[in-house]
Amino acid sequence: MIKKIGFVVNPIAGMGGKVGLKGTDNVLDKAIKLGAEPISEKKALDALKEFILRFSSKNDLYWFTCAGAMGEDELKKVGLTKIDIVYSPAKKRTTAVDTKNACKKFIEKKVDLILFCGGDGTARDIFEVVSNKIPILGIPAGVKMHSGVFSISTSASAKMLHEYINNNLTIGDAEIIDLDEKLYRKGKWDIRLFGIAKGIVEPTYVQVGKSIFESVSDDEVKEELAEHIKDEIEKNTDYLFLFGSGGTIDFIAKKLNLKNTLLGIDAVYDKKVVGSDLNEKKILELLNNYSKVKLILSPIGAQGFILGRGNLQLSPKLIKKIGLDNIIVVSTPTKISSTPFLRVDTGDKKLDHLFAEKDFLMVVIGYRLSRVVKIQTNNF
Amino acid sequence: MGGQILMKRNATTFLKNEYEELVNKNLDWKLRILESGSTPHSVVDGKKVIMFCSNNYLNLSNHPKLIQSAVDAAKKYGAGSGSVRAIAGTMKLHMDVEKKLAKFKRTEAALIYQTGFAANAGLIPQLVGKGDIIISDELNHGSIIDGVRLTKADRAVYKHRNVSELEKVLNEADKKYRRILIITDGVFSMDGDIAPMGKIVKLANEYGAMTYVDDAHGEGVIGPEGRGIGAHFGIEGKIDVEMGTFSKAYGVVGGLIAGSQDLINFAYNKSRTWLLSGSHPPAVAGAQLAAIDVLETEPQHVKNLWENTKYFKKELKSMGFDTGESETPITPVIVGESNKAKELSNRLFEEGVFALPIVFPMVAKDKARIRTMMNAGLTKEDLNYTLEKFEKLGKNLEII
Repeated sequence: MIKKIGFVVNPIAGMGGKVGLKGTDNVLDKAIKLGAEPISEKKALDALKEFILRFSSKNDLYWFTCAGAMGEDELKKVGLTKIDIVYSPAKKRTTAVDTKNACKKFIEKKVDLILFCGGDGTARDIFEVVSNKIPILGIPAGVKMHSGVFSISTSASAKMLHEYINNNLTIGDAEIIDLDEKLYRKGKWDIRLFGIAKGIVEPTYVQVGKSIFESVSDDEVKEELAEHIKDEIEKNTDYLFLFGSGGTIDFIAKKLNLKNTLLGIDAVYDKKVVGSDLNEKKILELLNNYSKVKLILSPIGAQGFILGRGNLQLSPKLIKKIGLDNIIVVSTPTKISSTPFLRVDTGDKKLDHLFAEKDFLMVVIGYRLSRVVKIQTNNF
Repeated sequence: MGGQILMKRNATTFLKNEYEELVNKNLDWKLRILESGSTPHSVVDGKKVIMFCSNNYLNLSNHPKLIQSAVDAAKKYGAGSGSVRAIAGTMKLHMDVEKKLAKFKRTEAALIYQTGFAANAGLIPQLVGKGDIIISDELNHGSIIDGVRLTKADRAVYKHRNVSELEKVLNEADKKYRRILIITDGVFSMDGDIAPMGKIVKLANEYGAMTYVDDAHGEGVIGPEGRGIGAHFGIEGKIDVEMGTFSKAYGVVGGLIAGSQDLINFAYNKSRTWLLSGSHPPAVAGAQLAAIDVLETEPQHVKNLWENTKYFKKELKSMGFDTGESETPITPVIVGESNKAKELSNRLFEEGVFALPIVFPMVAKDKARIRTMMNAGLTKEDLNYTLEKFEKLGKNLEII
């Protein structure tokens, strides 16, 4: 059956970048005055052209999109014809509301995938409407692209779309992360985890015969990770376990029948939850009562951050108190295969340096199975 | 009058269903039937082909001495051995093979398993258990992976042939575990590259780790006289477990391990696969004995294998083919997308050259390939014929 793609371009995404604004949320006028130029149209065109030239015939897909610069123009420029305009923005200068309205139409049309071109803000707008009901794939064109829905380049987007159509990819978790721009312009760095969307990911393959591999779903891998953590908890009965944020850890906690906060930090002792959605202060209070602590983390977003994106509650002070050796990093193999490094940005140079000295972390990728992954702490 | 018995479940419908699912996904094995012996020119599915996918590297499976020795042993000792090794199935012939093998491998002792898989699946779970760790190359062969799965030990993988990553894992494991076992393929069967065994053994010694190498594709192929990976690196007797097989270059069947007498005593008392399966028939043992003898006395087979390999690789490269990182008679011809590799393999078969495609996910998506396995019995004419076909089809399919 021909797949239905919802396609939306955020025409103003990425305009803040060159003029140093870290985004265009609510400051578009300023960006334009500073000389910002649109870039997302070009990025969208690049991805579409490559998709058509390298991978596809023009009739492979049915496209649902928005009038004008929000998708129609781009699709027509590359010669696609199976297009259905499902939404027209009221004004020429589009806003987040237009992206959201378009997504509502995509839901009505029951699209299989939403392909968008924009940045973290656009991803967040889409996620607010579609939640985890429809998988999202982002062509990177924004200033901030921390979210897990982005492919690493326009060219990678084209390839992923192709692989998705041919059923070579599976659906997995993709975190929606965004810098709070208002706080940022006031000098505060607050990158938040807004939710867990569905993205398209490379499946994990397991060798089942001499030359036969079977793909394993993300959930099956996460079940193995849950088994692993269960063993850890049973082995270390005198430890307090802090469960970090994100989809992988949430899955693990739920498998262990623990009530967990998807986007927050929870504490577990003796197989019971002793603290939910904790902030830094509350975790520090707990650490006074429990001297032995293990912290479970999982990479968040497209770039492999385990600290510094989406979990600022875990302050440098806290991490030092817990100790680097008490951090357990869990990840599905696909997630670490899509990023060459684990990244750490604690905001504390000395602590970052301690991670840098370690050079690598052992990451749990299956039941009693781990592998070495390099840590990167600066220059990213 | 019997009442109708309500069936709780259908016990066997899954057999058909799961098989059909495999067929639908095109994942079932379509068996090719050999209508000749496994010879450099074989008859496969009724077609005469030049064989490029057998593991019979030295063409010993057709060597008169092996055949004669198998016949003699069968005539003298019968068709079967009558028992498992541990009870009444150890014949003097089996002991002779082990003794000869140890001498050939320059180790204290050796042990024959029923198959290579039986060696891995039987021995690995005995070497480590709870509180131990197995450190494994990410591209290790399936039978190692299964052996590893049977243990309660933790597992860590390091990047393919990456010694510095291995050291990082060792450093981490050192603090936490009782025993550490490093396992790697000797020759990797997809790319034909060789594990850096010298460096691995050195590191293992520093950390008090055991080393275990699955040298299935190296036995009879690499090292002086084809004595395997220990000999290749000049570290005979220093690898804790040198595991290999009689089914590839040796031309027979059976798994083997070579190492210290302590290892062998431990292995045959503890490996469940060894203890619970019948021993090799006399004909098999007889052929194994002759295979080692031929390796010791007829150096031309290994020499021919390497001469053929070097010529074939050189010519492929000069035509513009990418042959990867291979250092052995396994030469991948990398063509790119999966479909292209399948197409090339089919067309080669039509032209009388039998070589299998290896595609994703066994290798990376854009590294699909034809895997060629050299044979010492192929002549220059055979190689030139094959090369000509590769060149013609490579151009047709726009690979070169």
